[in-house]
Amino acid sequence: MPISSFYGLQTSLRGLLAQQRALDTTGHNIANVSTTGYSRQEAVMAASAALHIPQGGVQGGAGAHIGSGVDVLAYRRIRDNFLDLQYRAQATRLGEAIGKAEGLDRAEQALTEPGDNGINKQLSEFWSAWGALSLAPDDPAARTALLEQADALAEAFGTVDAQLELVGQQAAAEFAALTASGGEVDQIGREIAALNTTIKAFVTAGDTPNDLLDQRDLLLDKLSALGTTSIVNNADGSVDVTFGGAAAPMIDNAGYHAEPLGASPGGRLGALKDLSTVPGGLIDAYRVELGAVAGTLAAEVNAIHPGFFSVTHNPPADYGAASLAVAADSSTLLAGLGGASANERARAVSELSGKGPDSAYNAFIARLGTEVREATRQEANAGALTNAVADRRESVAGVSLDEEMGNLVRFQRAYQASSRAMSTMDEMLDVLINRTGRVGL
Amino acid sequence: MAMRITSGMTQRNILADLNRVSERLNKTHQKISSNREITRPSDDPFNTSRAMALRTSMESTQQFQRNIEDALGWQDTAETALADIGDAIRRAHELVVEGASDSTPPDARLAIADEIDQLIESIKQNGNVTYRGRYVFSGTTTDVPPYADGDDAFHGSTAGVERQIGPGVSLEIGLLGSSFIGNGADGKALQVLRDVSTHLRSNDGAALRSDLQGLDAKTEELSGVRALNGARQNRLEAALGRLQEVEGATLQQLSNTEDVDIAKAMIDFSSQQAAYQAALKAGASIIQPSLMDFLR
Repeated sequence: MPISSFYGLQTSLRGLLAQQRALDTTGHNIANVSTTGYSRQEAVMAASAALHIPQGGVQGGAGAHIGSGVDVLAYRRIRDNFLDLQYRAQATRLGEAIGKAEGLDRAEQALTEPGDNGINKQLSEFWSAWGALSLAPDDPAARTALLEQADALAEAFGTVDAQLELVGQQAAAEFAALTASGGEVDQIGREIAALNTTIKAFVTAGDTPNDLLDQRDLLLDKLSALGTTSIVNNADGSVDVTFGGAAAPMIDNAGYHAEPLGASPGGRLGALKDLSTVPGGLIDAYRVELGAVAGTLAAEVNAIHPGFFSVTHNPPADYGAASLAVAADSSTLLAGLGGASANERARAVSELSGKGPDSAYNAFIARLGTEVREATRQEANAGALTNAVADRRESVAGVSLDEEMGNLVRFQRAYQASSRAMSTMDEMLDVLINRTGRVGL
Repeated sequence: MAMRITSGMTQRNILADLNRVSERLNKTHQKISSNREITRPSDDPFNTSRAMALRTSMESTQQFQRNIEDALGWQDTAETALADIGDAIRRAHELVVEGASDSTPPDARLAIADEIDQLIESIKQNGNVTYRGRYVFSGTTTDVPPYADGDDAFHGSTAGVERQIGPGVSLEIGLLGSSFIGNGADGKALQVLRDVSTHLRSNDGAALRSDLQGLDAKTEELSGVRALNGARQNRLEAALGRLQEVEGATLQQLSNTEDVDIAKAMIDFSSQQAAYQAALKAGASIIQPSLMDFLR
């Protein structure tokens, strides 16, 4: 069976076109080297369907397949779904660790320990003021100094409690802002649902919208830092997303639904919830413990000097630290019974230094310090793990400029060579058309 | 597994490493400039709580020292008054020796009786001595003068003034006037002197001679009181010395707990600085070259 003389021209043309597409893809990769969430793409080439000669293709009469060049089968997005899964699980952990560490860090700052403005310093000055009163129980200056110092101490408890309350409130406010209608979760959910619709339309038509898939993956990354995100990939290219331990999917075939979050949403939202829950949250527990210290202080001082402090320790209505107040005044303050220099009460109260209230407060600070330390360590751990997975993912999907430069040369050379093959074909036809059969002309 | 290394990855990792190194550098710098090993509880929760306890004990140690200094002032005042009272009794003794002599005429005895009355007033005045506005021999009712004009009754309380001189240790520093000056007709110094005065005026030589023994007993009683006062003073001074040592030791412990070891911190600082510079240099040269530099 004869083969067309022009057959080779078509083969070369296919080569030219395919290399050109590959160069286009390389250019796209290079252009997006800094695009967040971009996955490198590749023009997948395969030899095109060969020309089949049933008989007489080769000597001996057998048939043959003659190559017909190359086709671009697809533009492939190079990405590993399994690594995405790992990355998102780590991102959820990291989001939670960061949220917790930030909140606890603020709580720690509220305490201003160790330092001259903390409760510890105020407590020891309070004990000293009682000591000074024991020297001069009827001296108005010593009495005023003690009452002032007691006020300062009560105020220090109140201030720290208010600061802690603020940390809890800030966490609650951020949680509300993130989960509100129009908040970040809501926005991301709507965008993903919109992308789902577009992607589904393309995929149903047999198309692969690589760049839209990248956008959706990036949104899913962001969402998983906020809370536990479980994703189901559907055959039509869309994804179903269940977020934050909710009972029903946030995004499914029917689009986006604002679903109430579960008890432990995970991620940053989980951390914010842990911080702000009343009762039982982290900040709540600190306020209860600080209130217990204030309660101990009031009880132990009042046991010696009846009615010196007043306090209501009844969380969460009243945490104690905020309500600690000096109930005694200069008319009721009594350093001792039986004479102007009787000072048994003053001595007994200054004896409390380093005992009950001090050690309760120290234990509180040590516990808080340990927890902040632990949260910081967890944040560092989660950060390192997330980084490692991000590296693996980047290793698969990231654009390497060196590689692209190599590809550029490769495809350019292939293009040039295809072009040379075509010129060669042309010269051959020139011989055939213009120089063959001209004998005698 | 062989990894593809992309430029984005290199850059991100270099940046993360630089951040880590400069964060450590910053922390060390903070330590050096604040001279504190612990700037917040999470730096070292155990030592934070220890440092806080040490600060509290430091503050109370200082308060104990102030208590003792006050007590010492109190003791000094009492000691001076006791010395004066001793002088007065000794003078009374001399006068009685003179007055008891049978050769002393009645009007001379009257003159001596007048002087004895003066001595009684002076003893009562010394009984009313004050330290910082407080009557030191009045027990805990330091706002009430223990002795008033017109009677010899003791108007103070029966409880002594106490000072706290250490954790769990209180010491009674006040002396009750009633225990050595007297409270009405209780056989103490005042009553003995009143008797002397009466016997002089009634010209009773025999009674005067037996009064001499009473005066001797009062002198001894007073020495006992002064010895007690002196012993307390010694005890206070010993306690003060001990508290000063404790304060020094606490300060040392506090410094060991929360102050930075400058030598170590400086070495850390320079090695971290070197690491930072090396990381910067390596980062700069790893980012620079690309295949582009070698392709025509």
